[in-house]
Amino acid sequence: MLKIEGLTVEVPGFVLRDVNLEIAKGEFFAIMGPTGSGKSLLVEAITGLLPSNMLDFEGSIWRNGKEITHLPPNRRNIGILYQDVALFPHMTVEQNISYGLRYCKGNGANAQKRFQFFVKRFDLGHILHRYPARISGGERQRVALARVLVLDPDVVLLDEPISGLDPLFQGDIRRLLRQLHSELGITFVMVSHDFEEVMYLAQKGAVIHQGQVVQQAQIDEIFNRPASTFVARFVGAKNVFKVRFENGLAYIGSTSVRIADACLVPDFDHIVIRPEKIVPVLDMPDIRTGLENMFWGKVLEMSYCNFSVHLKIQKDETIFRAVWPEIYVRKMGLHVGKKVGFAFNKADVSTFREAK
Amino acid sequence: MARRGSNTLFFAGLLGLSLPVLFLIFFPLGRLVTAPTFEDLVHAIREADVQAALLRSLLTALGAALVSLVFGTPLAYLLSRRDFPGKKLVEGLIDLPIMIPHPVIGIAILGLATRDTVFGRILEWMGIQVMGTYAGIVAVLTFVGLPFFLNTAKAAFESVPERLEHVSMGLGAGSLSTFFRVTLPLSWRGIVLGMVMCTARAISEFGAVIVVAYHPMLAPVLIYERFTAYGLKYSQPVAVWLIVISVILFVAMRFLSRPVRQW
Repeated sequence: MLKIEGLTVEVPGFVLRDVNLEIAKGEFFAIMGPTGSGKSLLVEAITGLLPSNMLDFEGSIWRNGKEITHLPPNRRNIGILYQDVALFPHMTVEQNISYGLRYCKGNGANAQKRFQFFVKRFDLGHILHRYPARISGGERQRVALARVLVLDPDVVLLDEPISGLDPLFQGDIRRLLRQLHSELGITFVMVSHDFEEVMYLAQKGAVIHQGQVVQQAQIDEIFNRPASTFVARFVGAKNVFKVRFENGLAYIGSTSVRIADACLVPDFDHIVIRPEKIVPVLDMPDIRTGLENMFWGKVLEMSYCNFSVHLKIQKDETIFRAVWPEIYVRKMGLHVGKKVGFAFNKADVSTFREAK
Repeated sequence: MARRGSNTLFFAGLLGLSLPVLFLIFFPLGRLVTAPTFEDLVHAIREADVQAALLRSLLTALGAALVSLVFGTPLAYLLSRRDFPGKKLVEGLIDLPIMIPHPVIGIAILGLATRDTVFGRILEWMGIQVMGTYAGIVAVLTFVGLPFFLNTAKAAFESVPERLEHVSMGLGAGSLSTFFRVTLPLSWRGIVLGMVMCTARAISEFGAVIVVAYHPMLAPVLIYERFTAYGLKYSQPVAVWLIVISVILFVAMRFLSRPVRQW
């Protein structure tokens, strides 16, 4: 569906370097990265809306097997939905949605049908004659989405579609995007720095850091098996340790950690454990958890957040981070300085080699 | 309490220092406007020469605004949307007519239009004369008014989020269609304001005009002529009528630059 080969874009002060992506038809693909990582520049390259001060451009972009690298933006059939929705303020909702219909070639007969379909699907009938300033944030988002989808684009780019919204509407739009994807099989490419959003919506994704794709895989894999310290931290896997492997064990200093055989890859030098995978052990001698890694540690720090407690637990010279439900923490009577047992499965330990 | 007192003192100081400026603006103009009697004003406006000069001033100034609109709008849009080598230089050049003495502008235009230059020969071949013609007048008025148009139109284009244009192109519209369907409807107020500012500046021009064309006579030249030939009393009524036209333009400018309504 959408293929990017060796894309390098240089603008003053930043280079997007050698990006290779392949997005299949009907896929919900996420492009992730922190602010300033190059996500927006990549979107601009895909849509053909590169800044005028661009210094260099190499590589190619393909859509349905046809090269679109040098096509103008209006001939790429790639829809884009921005975070700020960017509705035309001088046009009514109806005019906004039908804005692009006059440029549709060959499928004009279906245009009215699609217009009616999305107006009904997004429940916009009662606001068609209103201006964008007079509708709610959630309605604006739906209008912007309808304006793109009514044109039946091959790919829809979603540039941080949810993060800028009022929390009240975030869930609605998230659900709507997921439903649209499963009902209509639209190919979505979503740009986001919010990994929770990505986990909910996307199947595959790529993480960009300093203009380079540092990992491209299934979302589950990125989440559970990050390929670098940066990706691990980005996806919230806070326990990243440099280790040495001896006799099938990973050593963090003097602490030995059992890991799955499949993760014992020569040259790999880091392990990652997600904080959610570390569970509390109430009474160490009686444990029947079956978890392969069990330790005693001392609570160094506790912070409460959304009915969870983020803990730092010190085991010898190593600090583990765990996220436990607040109710467990209360029942255990945990407090800073208290000794606590914790454990994790060896299958939840992933390994990688840090690129130099 | 002491803080409030020092604030009051500070603002009183500001007001005190502002008064000479207000005096400088309002008193000469107030004196000028109130000096002629109502009969003087009626008598002046009934004179064919005065009517013709005022109309000529208004029309040539509007002509300059129109030329600015046609040729200045593309440049203003380009400057608001594109970065290119030498952009700062171009922006600096645009403001140059504001800074250089206005007779110099007249002399520069005349110098360019002589037979000694290629441009002058092209004009001659096209049958266009600059000296003592409306073409010459409109040329110098455009020269002095263009910076006002360009800067205002550029600001108007800059106030339209580029993202809206990107969205339009993403929806299938080409650059021209995007300009006329999105950019222009959202910036026309600023463009019209630019035209009004250009007209207002052009209508008051004297220094450049008198070099290029004493005749056909514009209102500022007529005022100058009456002042030198007959004295202050005879020049004042014409000046008042020119002020009236300028005030109308000023009111129009304020009306157009008021905050845009929420759609």
